[in-house]
Amino acid sequence: MKTALSYIVLCIISFLSVFPLYYMLCGATNPSIDVIRGKLVPGSYLLENFKTLIEFQDLGRALFNSFRNSLLITLFTLLICSIAGYGFEVYHDKGKDILMSILLLAMMLPFVALMIPLFKMFSAWGMVNTWMALMLPSISTPFMIMLFRQAARSFPPDIIDAARLEGLSEMGIFFRMYIPTMKSTYGAAMTVTFMNAWNNYLWPKIILQKNESITMPMLVANLKSGYSVDYGMLMLGVLICTLPTAIIFLCLQKSFANGITGAVK
Amino acid sequence: MKKRFLSTLLSAVMTASLLAGCGGGGGNTSATDTTDVQTTQTQEAETEVTASGGEETLTVWCWDPNFNIYAMKEAEKIYQKDHPNFKLDIQENVYSDIEQKLITAAEAGDYSTLPDIFLMQDYSYSKMATNYPGIFTDLTDSGIDFTQFTAGKVADSTVDGKNYGVPFDNGAVIFAVRTDIIEQAGLKAEDFKDITWSKFLELGQKVLDETGCPMLTSSGGSELVIMMMQSAGASPMVDGKVNLVGNAALEEAISIYKKLVQSGIMVDYTDWDQYIASMNDGTAAGVIQGCWIMSSIQAAADQSGKWAIVNMPKLDNIDGATNYSNCGGASWAVSSNCKNVELAQDFLKTTFGGSVELYDILLPNAGAIASYLPAGESAIYQEGSEFYGGQAVYADIVEYANGVPAFSYDAYYSDIRSALTDAITNVVQNGADITEEIQNAQDTVEFNIGG
Amino acid sequence: MKKKRMGIEKRHRLIGWGFLLPATVLIFIFCFYPMLQAILLSFKSGNGVNAEWTLNNYTRILKDKTFKQCLFNTVFYLVVQVPIMLILALMLAQLLNNPKLRFRGGFRTMIFLPCATSLVSYSMIFKSLFADRGLVNLILEQVGLSPVSWFQEAWAARFVIIIALIWRWTGYNMVFYLAGLQNIDYSVYEASRIDGASPMQQFFRITIPLLKPTILLTAIMSTSGTLQLFDESVNLTAGGPGKASMTLAHYIFNISFVETPKFSYAAALSVFILVCVATLSFIQMKVGDQRD
Repeated sequence: MKTALSYIVLCIISFLSVFPLYYMLCGATNPSIDVIRGKLVPGSYLLENFKTLIEFQDLGRALFNSFRNSLLITLFTLLICSIAGYGFEVYHDKGKDILMSILLLAMMLPFVALMIPLFKMFSAWGMVNTWMALMLPSISTPFMIMLFRQAARSFPPDIIDAARLEGLSEMGIFFRMYIPTMKSTYGAAMTVTFMNAWNNYLWPKIILQKNESITMPMLVANLKSGYSVDYGMLMLGVLICTLPTAIIFLCLQKSFANGITGAVK
Repeated sequence: MKKRFLSTLLSAVMTASLLAGCGGGGGNTSATDTTDVQTTQTQEAETEVTASGGEETLTVWCWDPNFNIYAMKEAEKIYQKDHPNFKLDIQENVYSDIEQKLITAAEAGDYSTLPDIFLMQDYSYSKMATNYPGIFTDLTDSGIDFTQFTAGKVADSTVDGKNYGVPFDNGAVIFAVRTDIIEQAGLKAEDFKDITWSKFLELGQKVLDETGCPMLTSSGGSELVIMMMQSAGASPMVDGKVNLVGNAALEEAISIYKKLVQSGIMVDYTDWDQYIASMNDGTAAGVIQGCWIMSSIQAAADQSGKWAIVNMPKLDNIDGATNYSNCGGASWAVSSNCKNVELAQDFLKTTFGGSVELYDILLPNAGAIASYLPAGESAIYQEGSEFYGGQAVYADIVEYANGVPAFSYDAYYSDIRSALTDAITNVVQNGADITEEIQNAQDTVEFNIGG
Repeated sequence: MKKKRMGIEKRHRLIGWGFLLPATVLIFIFCFYPMLQAILLSFKSGNGVNAEWTLNNYTRILKDKTFKQCLFNTVFYLVVQVPIMLILALMLAQLLNNPKLRFRGGFRTMIFLPCATSLVSYSMIFKSLFADRGLVNLILEQVGLSPVSWFQEAWAARFVIIIALIWRWTGYNMVFYLAGLQNIDYSVYEASRIDGASPMQQFFRITIPLLKPTILLTAIMSTSGTLQLFDESVNLTAGGPGKASMTLAHYIFNISFVETPKFSYAAALSVFILVCVATLSFIQMKVGDQRD
């Protein structure tokens, strides 16, 4: 009985969540004028929309750039933030707790206010239009550090003590014991970081000013900027922009939500 | 010195780890990938070399592939006939991003990222030139003949007597009417030509009663009210002072707006997509907007022959009221970072400032209506348009553009617009008093200006 | 013996600092340094080079009506949306943590999808759903209620923003809870069920206490995110009608890039947000971050 109720609730919520994807699909397969008129049945205009899309926009480059940027940012973020989060919790003392609180301040000032000082800084270093300037401000976030710090709280100290007795170095404990145990946290962190990096618009747009650096959100913004918008093409662009994150989630979700894996016992 | 060291150190560390990290995952794409990474930094240096090295390449920022990007590409072709080495590097940028990048660069004091030429909305010229004059190259003595453009249009990109922009598209206001709908009420498009707003209310009521269809659709906010103000030449800024309180045209415009909404003659959307949809799906029988709206109207190809274009109604009791106004339109600016100012000026002069041929291509293919006067006399402007039932709409619009009264919002277009939007929302939605709300708007704008 | 122990602890402490170093250095350079500049800017007049030190930007806040409106809107979103969203996310996470449930992967992915959806499409979808003749009004009419002009009325517009926020971010928060729940042995639930605990009791007695560190994290994140809310206000309602649904961050953006640029005033408003978020987070930390 209870499970039946669970299923009903989950079905309703899933339906509400998925509906927009269906809407995008309808949009992507219909000509613009039908999208405007609110047609909610998939059409047969997908190929035409795709042709116009690649005629006007460098889709391949945008996808490539977005993947490259997001993957690298994710890689560095996970590495740097998880080490820090582990350090904060496992070796915690008064000083580190205070530092953590201070670091949290970093996410509390609206980015609009940081943008110009940041741009000034990179322009003084001659780093505008470089890749480093895109990555450096994004890879260390207090949120991720805190995520790993909170997760490390459930990492049993016995394991650390045992590993130390076996002569593992502190770094070794982190890499060999902590990372494998915390697969779920890494999975969640990876999904979220990738998604944020993928969807980020404001900073990449300001710091990467060349056509060659176009990313998917920039491409989608371009589609919407004309005097008359081709909504079919726009929806296709949006769909293509959404799918990678969705697929990554689909692949990773097992790792962070499949119940006890047996590592912690 | 310290900073530089730090950045080099960071770069070194990052690049090292990057290359190490990249090798495994990149697969077959990594060949292009790594070269791309390594060349990003050198690329900048490279372009600078080529720019000074005599090759004639100009970078341009604009935003619409069907419209101004297309126009730039055609202009490039025309200029290349005499200058075979000439090339444009057109960078697509959403308009709000162009402004944001300009402001960021100016605030950071680093103009080196600016392109040679950029397209800017007319309403922003005053704001940008007042706050960040360092962005622009003054075009007053560039040899471009500004008298060949619609006077009102040139005025928009002229600040303190200096020309900062070469006019591009026309923003003359049109009133597009669905002839098949008003026919059901026994009316013709001509009945809406050269009328006043009180006459319009009468006709609109008739259409509403007979067909159940509202006569107008609006994108909410203050756009229509500002068009009405401009049609009477009642500037919101006079001699550097805010002129909202006691502006009779504004007061009348808001009261008309209120009547339009409350009688149901006009449907009011705050959302642009719904607004466009209301034209395309026959929710409303007409729209008053800058003539660039035509491309959106024409998107509904099945409505061909069912539209006509007339001028907008004029305010009843206001001195100097006309049937003409302006909304939108943009002009080309040359940035202060332009490496080859002479080339940029000559390019603009021979194309947008002197080529009827260019405008003849742009009209049918991009729907860009010129504000370059000689272009308006060209034969192609006199041809009838099938979509508008054979009406020679382009010649009409060029004529409307000539009738637009001068209008000034100084550097405060956005402040005024947003304050008026608040006022109008309060009047229409909450039944607030018009004079009181205008006073509030005046206070808000003055508060913003004094800052 | 004791002395040696102290030595090891000291060494560990030092290694710990080494672990923090890269992340901390990056945050200091790329966040605190620009932040400092923004704070300094907020105490200067105008935008010019020879600007003078002044408190005007802060006294100006007190006189700014638009600011008051935006502050009200933002706080309203915070108070209504954050608790609903977090509780919903927790409940979903608990439901989906049941290993006996089928199609869990499918459900999880579907519920996560909203936050993967790009902003443009999501705002377009919501605008069309809540359009005057959109699906929502259609349903309202079907059940005999009168349709609402969602974007033309102040409270309706705020409501749409809250619905949109809940829709988009519930799945996102659920992800962290799911990850956190993995560290709780499911047999704890089994045992409590045998003891006769209802799902409600399990929720309050097991899920919430054990997830406390994660809940604290998401609460701080959501608070900070909502007080800096920008996207929804810009893309969904454009702050309208009038400024009835505009958020503080949207207003700050307008002051900087849309209206007559006043960067020092924008900086002062940003500092105001910083102080608010910091205070709230401090309280949350004090309440939720005790080690047992």
